[in-house]
Amino acid sequence: MEIASGLLHGFAVALQPYNVLWCFIGCLLGTIVGIMPGLGPAATIALLLPLTFKMDPAGGIIMLAGIYYGAKYGGSTTSILLNIPGESSSVVTCLDGYQMARKGRAGAALGIAAIASFVAGTVGVIGLTLIAPPVAVFALSFSSPEYFALMCLGLALVVLLSGTSLTKGLLSLLFGLWVASIGTDLFTAQARFIFGQAPLLGGVDFMVVAIGVFAIGEVLSSIEAGDDAEVLPVPRGIRNLLPNMEELKACRFAFLNGSITGFLIGCLPGGGATISSFIAYGIEKAASKHPEKFGTGVPEGVAAPEGANNADTGGALVPLLTLGIPSGGSTAIMLSALVLWGVKPGPLMMQDSPDVFWGLVASMYIGNVVLLILNLPLVPLFAQILRLPVFILFPVIFGISIVGAYGASGRIFDLGLLVGFGLLGYAMGKLKYPTAPLILGFVLGNSMERALRQSLMMSQNDLMVLVQRPISACMLGIAVLILLIPLFGSFNKARVRAITENG
Amino acid sequence: MTKRRLLLAAALLVAAAVPVSAQQFKPTRTIEFVVHGGPGSGNDVFARTLNTIIDQEKLSPVRMQVVNKPGGGSTTAAAYVVSKKGDPHVIACFTNIWLIDPLLQQAANNRPQDMSPIARLVVEPALAVVRADSPFKTLGDFIDAAKQKPGALKMSGGSIGSRENVVRQLLMKTTGARWAFISFPSGGERIAALLGGHVDMMIVDPSEAGEQVRAGKLRPIAQVSDRRLPGFPDVPTIREAGFEITNVPQMRGVIGAPNMPAAAIEFYEDMFLKVTKTPAWQKFIHDSELDGEFVKAAEFKAFLGTFEGTLREILKEAGAKVVR
Amino acid sequence: MAKILRDGDVWSGAALAALGIYILVQASAWDYFSLDGPGPGFFPFWYGAAMTTLALVLIISKVRKSNAGQEPQQGIQPETQTGTPQDKPPLLDWTTTGRALGTWAAFALAVVLMAPLGFVLSFALLTFFIVAWVFRRPLLTAGITAVVTALAFHLAFPVALGVDLPTGFFGF
Repeated sequence: MEIASGLLHGFAVALQPYNVLWCFIGCLLGTIVGIMPGLGPAATIALLLPLTFKMDPAGGIIMLAGIYYGAKYGGSTTSILLNIPGESSSVVTCLDGYQMARKGRAGAALGIAAIASFVAGTVGVIGLTLIAPPVAVFALSFSSPEYFALMCLGLALVVLLSGTSLTKGLLSLLFGLWVASIGTDLFTAQARFIFGQAPLLGGVDFMVVAIGVFAIGEVLSSIEAGDDAEVLPVPRGIRNLLPNMEELKACRFAFLNGSITGFLIGCLPGGGATISSFIAYGIEKAASKHPEKFGTGVPEGVAAPEGANNADTGGALVPLLTLGIPSGGSTAIMLSALVLWGVKPGPLMMQDSPDVFWGLVASMYIGNVVLLILNLPLVPLFAQILRLPVFILFPVIFGISIVGAYGASGRIFDLGLLVGFGLLGYAMGKLKYPTAPLILGFVLGNSMERALRQSLMMSQNDLMVLVQRPISACMLGIAVLILLIPLFGSFNKARVRAITENG
Repeated sequence: MTKRRLLLAAALLVAAAVPVSAQQFKPTRTIEFVVHGGPGSGNDVFARTLNTIIDQEKLSPVRMQVVNKPGGGSTTAAAYVVSKKGDPHVIACFTNIWLIDPLLQQAANNRPQDMSPIARLVVEPALAVVRADSPFKTLGDFIDAAKQKPGALKMSGGSIGSRENVVRQLLMKTTGARWAFISFPSGGERIAALLGGHVDMMIVDPSEAGEQVRAGKLRPIAQVSDRRLPGFPDVPTIREAGFEITNVPQMRGVIGAPNMPAAAIEFYEDMFLKVTKTPAWQKFIHDSELDGEFVKAAEFKAFLGTFEGTLREILKEAGAKVVR
Repeated sequence: MAKILRDGDVWSGAALAALGIYILVQASAWDYFSLDGPGPGFFPFWYGAAMTTLALVLIISKVRKSNAGQEPQQGIQPETQTGTPQDKPPLLDWTTTGRALGTWAAFALAVVLMAPLGFVLSFALLTFFIVAWVFRRPLLTAGITAVVTALAFHLAFPVALGVDLPTGFFGF
């Protein structure tokens, strides 16, 4: 019952006029920041920190949180329209979102992204409200063997992302693993594959790889295909600018999938929104009646990852608010903010600072509604970007790519890498290598290696620890099953052939 | 005779006055305060706090701006600072990693000693903590258990060059005990590993673990500090607990671009000294549980020289590949 | 036989096999296993080995497929006289591929120029090139587009949003 009273108290705080204003400002800023590649929520939150010193803590954290989860709404915009992820966790939305845009369903894709974000975001906050303490305990029970098994599960999904050639999909994945290990090894400080370049000591930035391979690669492929290549068809009429009932119905499972996957993986301190959106996408494809259509522009392929990266915000706030443990860039800064205000995030926060705690939680319900109202009407507006003639649109894509790659680090070196990955993306398209496994390998590579080495260090080189622990054994089992799916498929084909030949 | 002496004294006075006023440095453009982390990182928050205080107390005649140069630990920031050789408007926020990166990375060829150390501002203490339900009540308990089962106990921390590993190396060497070190990339994961029971101990900043201690989830068994922190009066320092190890302070300071003129160094040294006297700074130090003993440029530079040697030896014993 | 050498899969397989071998060579210089568990050479060894193996599998399966395909063709050669061009398809259509690679080269050049010239000028040049050469629009259109988009980016990002873009000798 204290949850109910806490939440009511929270709404009393969150609905105060000034706090509603801060919530709105945060959501608006977050949306803008999410839309623009090169602007990230973490950087924005850090920059606004000094301004919040003069505000009261509840209002301040409400605004900063608004930026954090608002960015997840905006991130899908450029992913769908331009194949450029606005935010790293929106990269999976590019896979089907951009394909939907190419088929003239850009408005529908944007609408589905907004709706999925709203549903999953709200479910995430409900989770935060009702089951935060047991979820926090669950999150703490996750140790390196479980992380490793989770990453293996994620990688096994590459089997589903490979399309026609499994060999090429695996090669793409392995290349991604290699790029991920460029940099400094965490455990031994050994520099790996840096080719003598000091800027590579920190590794390759994710946005550089994603934007290069997806956006630049795609533009170069379109230029090769010629002027008569499909200019992105502009949806006309209100009916075409928003998802129709059929598309929404197809997404029912995706909404659920995104919410749960995003929330659960989000609450793990070592998890991440990008990982949860990949896994949600993989689960959606595995559970689908028409998996081969994924990657060609199916609405569920947009709804699942978009939902996941929003539910992830609710999940990530669980360890932050209940234990004072941040799980990523933005939450780390919010932690510093709370500390600077004198609010002490940790096990005692709920009783020491109920205003801030419950005010924040309540404001997230309001924020998700605000964001839905903000984003849906913007859909037709954004879809008009597609009206730009191709000869203007393509240079704009180059420009935005440069902004996105340069924005995070401010190094021209990263632009050089962007050029390289752009050529790679183009070559992969030409040679029919799927690009999604490369991104997946890059995202998971480091985490997986770290988790394995941590596990072996903790168990004193006993590999059996991976199957002795129940959760990790389960996930590894599922991963193995997923890997066997194509074998079943070819067994079946061989069987059918044998039967028809003999019969 | 007296007249000549008077004239000589007057001439000397004039001669002394002229160079002094010629030596006084005043910045003429925005000062760049380089930080080796991205916005929101620990260093960034530290630098911006300094910046805000300087701004509010009007301690600088020109604006100061935080410039983020993240990448490869300190390497991107160090390379940037070195590229501004001779520019008296470029300073950076220095931490131990500026010394360690050149030791471990061939490609990190910018050493702090080649730049212009200005001042050391704070030393960050740390706490050795265990879970509240752990059988170890003192650091001695932990080390005894580690001696009995070498390699079985585990602690979480950052990379091999991090402070917690350095302290671990020193303790292991003095006592002959051995326990494993598990690296995690973020503070959140390290604490989660301890809270979840996957490791047995960790050495952590008081600001990160303070709340857990207050809530009774974690128990501090020792402090890595010269003197006891006001927030933890009952926790013995490592020395008090009976273990004599070399002092390896985790420092934060200010360092300038190479070949900075002496007058400029003096200017900054002076400015930051004034910062440390402000009440806002005192409050910040107190709230963050930092040790704010100010060390001036010359002493700081000398210390860096010897400290680098100490770190080199420790890292070699830890098994890291030391390249310089 | 000649066809194999023109096959994209064979070339990419060869490149990936070479990369895999490079990875293995580098990884051998690092610790595979140490007292504390797997070392920095552990993971690279495995994915390098997997990469080399799969790349060879790719090459071999392509070679086998094209060998299998060639035999029936030899048997019915007279009928395929008219269709001889099918035996040797052009490796690359240089008109279209050339366009794409030319654009990429321009992009690379623009990045190189960004250090001395700054974003605005380099991007304007790139846009001009794309509009005039790739899309074959009149030079005036190209010029106007270049100036307008470069200015728009400059106004949007460094000025309005405070996102830094590369600045060159001229300060913008």
